[in-house]
Amino acid sequence: MKKNSTVQKIARIALAAAALCSVFALGACSKKTDSAAASKYGSDTLKLYLPGAYTSDTLIPNFEKQFGVRVIVENFDSNEMMYAKVQAGDKYDVLIPSDYMIERLLKQDMLQKLDKSMIPNASELTDAVLNLSYDPKNEYSMPYFWGNVGIVYNTKNVDAEDIKAGYEIFQNEKYAGKLYWYDSERDSFMIALKVLGYSMNTDNKDEINKAYEWLLKMHDTVKPTYVTDEVIDNMSNGMKDIAIVYSGDAATILNANKDMSYVAPDQGTNIWVDAMVIPKNAENPKLANEFINYALSYEAALGNTKAVGYASANTKVLDEMTKEGGDFASNAAYRPRAGFAKDEIFHDNDVIRKMISELWIKVKAH
Amino acid sequence: MNKTSKFWSIFSKTMMGLTLLFFYLPILYIIIFSFNGSKSLTRLDGFSLQWYEKMFADPVMMSSIGYTIAIALIATAVSTILGTFTAIGLSKSGKILRSSVERVNELPVMNPDIVTGISLLMLFSALAVSKGFMTMLLAHIMFCTPFVILSVMPKLRTLDPNLTDAALDLGATPFQAMTKVIIPQIKPSIIAGALIAFTMSFDDFVISYFVTGNGVQNISILVYTMSKRINPSINALSTLVIVIITISLIAVNLIPLIKRKAFDKEK
Amino acid sequence: MRINKFRLMTYPYIGWIIVMIVVPMLLIGLYAFTVPGNDVASVKFSLDNFARFATDAVFLKVVGKSLWIAFLTTVVCILLGYPIAYIISKAKGNKSMILILLLTLPTWINMLVRTYAWMGILQEGGVFSSICAFFGFEGVSLLYTDFAVTLGMVYNFLPFMILQIHTSLAKMDNSLLEAASDLGANRVQSFLRVTLPLSLPGVVSGITLVFLPAVSSFFIPKLLGGGQYVLVGNVIESQFLTAGDWHFGSAISLIMAIIIIISMWLTRKIDVQPKKEN
Repeated sequence: MKKNSTVQKIARIALAAAALCSVFALGACSKKTDSAAASKYGSDTLKLYLPGAYTSDTLIPNFEKQFGVRVIVENFDSNEMMYAKVQAGDKYDVLIPSDYMIERLLKQDMLQKLDKSMIPNASELTDAVLNLSYDPKNEYSMPYFWGNVGIVYNTKNVDAEDIKAGYEIFQNEKYAGKLYWYDSERDSFMIALKVLGYSMNTDNKDEINKAYEWLLKMHDTVKPTYVTDEVIDNMSNGMKDIAIVYSGDAATILNANKDMSYVAPDQGTNIWVDAMVIPKNAENPKLANEFINYALSYEAALGNTKAVGYASANTKVLDEMTKEGGDFASNAAYRPRAGFAKDEIFHDNDVIRKMISELWIKVKAH
Repeated sequence: MNKTSKFWSIFSKTMMGLTLLFFYLPILYIIIFSFNGSKSLTRLDGFSLQWYEKMFADPVMMSSIGYTIAIALIATAVSTILGTFTAIGLSKSGKILRSSVERVNELPVMNPDIVTGISLLMLFSALAVSKGFMTMLLAHIMFCTPFVILSVMPKLRTLDPNLTDAALDLGATPFQAMTKVIIPQIKPSIIAGALIAFTMSFDDFVISYFVTGNGVQNISILVYTMSKRINPSINALSTLVIVIITISLIAVNLIPLIKRKAFDKEK
Repeated sequence: MRINKFRLMTYPYIGWIIVMIVVPMLLIGLYAFTVPGNDVASVKFSLDNFARFATDAVFLKVVGKSLWIAFLTTVVCILLGYPIAYIISKAKGNKSMILILLLTLPTWINMLVRTYAWMGILQEGGVFSSICAFFGFEGVSLLYTDFAVTLGMVYNFLPFMILQIHTSLAKMDNSLLEAASDLGANRVQSFLRVTLPLSLPGVVSGITLVFLPAVSSFFIPKLLGGGQYVLVGNVIESQFLTAGDWHFGSAISLIMAIIIIISMWLTRKIDVQPKKEN
């Protein structure tokens, strides 16, 4: 009887280990909570759905301690990934999507109004992120981080004159093979439309086609490498000379590599805002409002911006970070410019979205 | 003769050596960078244990290891048993049944994960199931079983059907025929299927992402969603997984040895 | 009669796949054959999605490239995997099991983490270019090249190929080989006449396990080849997510499924021959 072989033993041990791991994993969830919180808010759990690594390490533990509640965190890696799940009916109490996604959620009647009386910290928000077109009176959303899109360049290898051309440097043959382009159809078309002097929210097909041709020419002349988040590490290590980067990521690059600088071109750029919202089907809206107020507070916002490197929506925090001796003092990327006439916010447009998605594939596969 | 076998021995040793080097070069790289002094995943800046501290202090990271291993082990066990039984059944079934099940079975293997993920998201939403550990486990069983069947089927086809028939003629029940005659012959392919199923479950991000909920996140979800600010704590996590797996494999191989020795001594 | 008892064993799985695979795939099919109507609730039947795909050269180019990369990966996996599996199958006793475990262990590390490691190894200033610099070739960067993509894909899928070929070689009847050598066949002859044909089913299932997932993979090409490496997996993903066009995304995945089924059917024809010899 050689039946009782190692295979069966492995199987037996494996199942025992699985049971152990389940206990271990589930045990991590069953933290002690306060029954007082349950009676005050109706429930003692808050379900938070936000981009990965978007808070300081202390934000959530401190909130849990202070209010005697339990926070369940889930992460997404793009607004669209989040949308797919929320649209399918998954329930969360607080989401942190971007401006255009908030616009789409509002259009589909998926958000509920905030209880402003519970959010006194809203007064600390900086003007540049308030009352924007996606939510004109900030009835549904409270800004969390914001920024723009611009060019990170190596001051040692790029002529100061050349960089003055703004996005046009991406058609300068001198830098062929030395550029990274951010692989996103929205940002790509934003840049091309800005170079051509159009609005980035145009629904004029001719303008979009001209932008498409500009991108094709860019693709053929400078042969950029299309990257997404790898750009942060790669530019910090100085792998290439020029890259399209979000200002928040650029701030991280500039702090890591002193040769790098950042510019938001004069042609205009995209101002983006990631904001906290409460979905209609939230199970615990009262606690959600409490969390939003907490996340807006000076201490919480300071911790978040220090950990993530994105510009805070809190005025005092912005000043604190950029003043002499602050984490981002003399960092050209951290604080986005406010009130520049050619800067715009994205609007959500179903038809255009599908059109540029297809055109972008054609550019890259060209 | 001697010359060829000597050549063969040298050839096979170099080949295995190079293969192991190829497979373990990135692993070594991951381990080294888990001790990196800076946030970079590609440039070394001194030595530090900060990423290990960060990992052990993060309850989400620690629970993700638990979820990943638990789901991978249970999904592998279930799909290996389910897949093997089904494959044996199919091999004795008619051609139409067999090939139609086989074709459906291949769908999750060849569909992009996003399609499988979205289709399951729609299914679970339509059934109004609350998402979490169970839905993730069901989804993993769903995409792991086809790999077991794909692995076992070809071996089953090369078996001599007369052996099973003989066993049945001699009065064995079909269950006995299966466990005593068929399974011993296809054991290597069952093991291969189980290993592949385990790998698939361990590594899956897209499908898991769409079917999970209630804060149940496996290692892959953690890695992919932090891709923007990805940092060496992920390497520390991977190193911990390597250590856990290595220790358990050694334990599985050593425990029988120690037992046998103790048994011999008693004698 | 007794055959039916075996058939019973397939019923649980048939029920399972109807719920977990067939129904969800029908939902995808429903999307593929419809376009959104004027409002969200109304959809209408249409073949537009397929027409849109077939009439645009860029999609055909992308499909061609995806099939080519999957094919290349599969061929390299066979060429490397066969000798490795053969060597492992010749190892004595427990050693072969240990080698198999050693080769699958790296696959239990997250694919993204492993791919990031390869990026570090292949990029300028990484391990690889340092070795090249040592031999006098400065500034070599393999990252974002075809080589890097193939390497990453082979790294990811080779263990599956080895496992499958190994299982078909492992329990091979040694008496057949002895008989062959008794009949005067030398090593090469007995390998070609006996071992190779008997191991073909393993090769075929290895091809299935490598080729099928390789066609739709896109994380590895995207990270090691750069975003300009547009494969069908990327297109489908961007349709479902960034473009939000589930109808078109479903149609493309359906077309791909059909293409793959046809190419697998052609591959299986190889599998039929050894069966006849038996």
